[in-house]
Amino acid sequence: MALINLPAFSQELLADFESLGTLRVDTPVIQPAEPFLAMAGEDLRRRIFMTESETGESLCLRPEFTIPVCLRHIETATGTPKRYAYLGEVFRQRREGGNEFYQAGIEDLGDTDIAASDARAVGSAMRVVANRLPGRRLSVTLGDQSVFEAVVGACGLPGGWQKRLIHAFGDQKHLQKLLAELADPKAAGVFGPEVERLAINGMLDDEALLVAHIGQTMEATGYSTNASRSPQDIARRLKEKMELANTRLDPETLDLVREFLALDMPLADAPAALFRFAEKTGLALDGALSGFDARVAALAAIGADVSAIRYRAAFGRPLDYYTGLVFEVEVEGTQAVLAGGGRFDRLLTLLGAQEHIPAVGFSLWLDRIETAIAVSRGAA
Amino acid sequence: MTITIALPSKGRMKDDASAIFERAGMKIVAVGNDRSYRGRVEGWEDVEIAFLSASEISRELGNGSIDFGVTGEDLVREGLANADARVEFCARLGFGHADVVVAVPEIWYDVDTMADLGDVAADFRARHGRRLAIATKYWRLTQNHFSGSHGIQLYRIVESLGATEGAPASGSADIIVDITSTGSTLTANHLKILADGVILRSEACLVRARKPAHDTDPTVGRILSAVRDAL
Repeated sequence: MALINLPAFSQELLADFESLGTLRVDTPVIQPAEPFLAMAGEDLRRRIFMTESETGESLCLRPEFTIPVCLRHIETATGTPKRYAYLGEVFRQRREGGNEFYQAGIEDLGDTDIAASDARAVGSAMRVVANRLPGRRLSVTLGDQSVFEAVVGACGLPGGWQKRLIHAFGDQKHLQKLLAELADPKAAGVFGPEVERLAINGMLDDEALLVAHIGQTMEATGYSTNASRSPQDIARRLKEKMELANTRLDPETLDLVREFLALDMPLADAPAALFRFAEKTGLALDGALSGFDARVAALAAIGADVSAIRYRAAFGRPLDYYTGLVFEVEVEGTQAVLAGGGRFDRLLTLLGAQEHIPAVGFSLWLDRIETAIAVSRGAA
Repeated sequence: MTITIALPSKGRMKDDASAIFERAGMKIVAVGNDRSYRGRVEGWEDVEIAFLSASEISRELGNGSIDFGVTGEDLVREGLANADARVEFCARLGFGHADVVVAVPEIWYDVDTMADLGDVAADFRARHGRRLAIATKYWRLTQNHFSGSHGIQLYRIVESLGATEGAPASGSADIIVDITSTGSTLTANHLKILADGVILRSEACLVRARKPAHDTDPTVGRILSAVRDAL
């Protein structure tokens, strides 16, 4: 059944948001579809409700709040830092649960103190969930893409492989497949017959010649050299691809990446464990690790219950605007994610902001929180 | 119970389908004149024929308003979510061959696999200020192949209902997902198929809508064995 009334605890939740120093904003339910599809990818199309305006513009029912809140921030141009809160209905085609349900959350835009704003996002999410479920112990999973990026970077892989692995971070299946390819010499790159001809003609060694050749061929075959990939793009990546094909990950390095991805421990133990990992493997991870340590310290400083948080090295989201922290909040011993969030420093510039605006936030699944409250009352 | 079989209403597909049914001992005659969209099978009183467009056949199979249909596998898999749960592909009929493929400009010397395309897609926005654009009418097949099988999320589909092969040269898209039977249109437009870019090898199939009533209906079994024996 679709929710037509606000969750019973909405007023208390909004009071919590206010005490957390946020500015409540609302956004239209009907949104342009383009930004959601451009940011989250075509997969989203099946999960949102789309329609068209009379003039042919693609519209959708708001599937989430982060993008509308960020767009509103860019349009109103009221400066940073800003701490926005929202509560309203979102619409998605879900396998389980209704298609319209309430979400609430906080987006912190423009705070340049990364560790402090990360900690505040996690701390606020834990607090508002805990306030709805007094007496229940929470369990938080935390991941950090920037640590994985540092590990991959320190392994000395060519740029193309680093990008592939980082892009797959959070998608376990895809990432394991890539690692297997890296280890297996059989999986060399596939090159077409044209590339062999170019090699015979010596063109692969002379980038300027190759660019000119590609440009001439494009013009001769009726392809514009600036509508899509340029001759320079193609020549540069052909070189990168030859590096990719010639790279093998030695078994030790592969083990090391796998060992890293298997790390799963209480957050309080993670700084020391990551330090030991860096020391043992000789990888230079100092920058990422100091950011990680600062966040753990900041969490302790704001009084968050660090003992409820686990660090899982492989935990991430395979979307290119997530950049660092990701986290999820559950009730201990259950599977339902009640709150999820992370850092998305690339999103605002992708949406059209002129300057770089660091951003971190979380959203709450209010229908799941209601269910958890009901279960909690039933058990009591 | 009357069993309805839908056949393509025109062209090669109509002739080839009718020929197979005739070989199967199910000669199809039009009701009324030759252009009629309804037919029957000589000697099979409990079977009726509906002539529909190939894409309508896939839709009608999905909502169960017909029992059997002859149409391309590509149209069924594109038109229906969870196709295998809703319909059964009973026989591949050996005509209407067409592959649904991922094709990129020949000049993309660095792209011969889906993994290459994933690299290009990941970087595309940073370099061009937009996502990689794919011209296609196969939304579902494209999404399943790109996201499901190859972990590629970052692309946009630009709907193309005709002359899709021309989209990359005209600049309205970067690459295409389309059907090809001989590949000559692709070659003429300076496009190449990726090594792992064949999404589906399609041909005309006899497709059955999964309906509980079929389990006890002897006509269903008779149709199936007649067609299979004729292949």
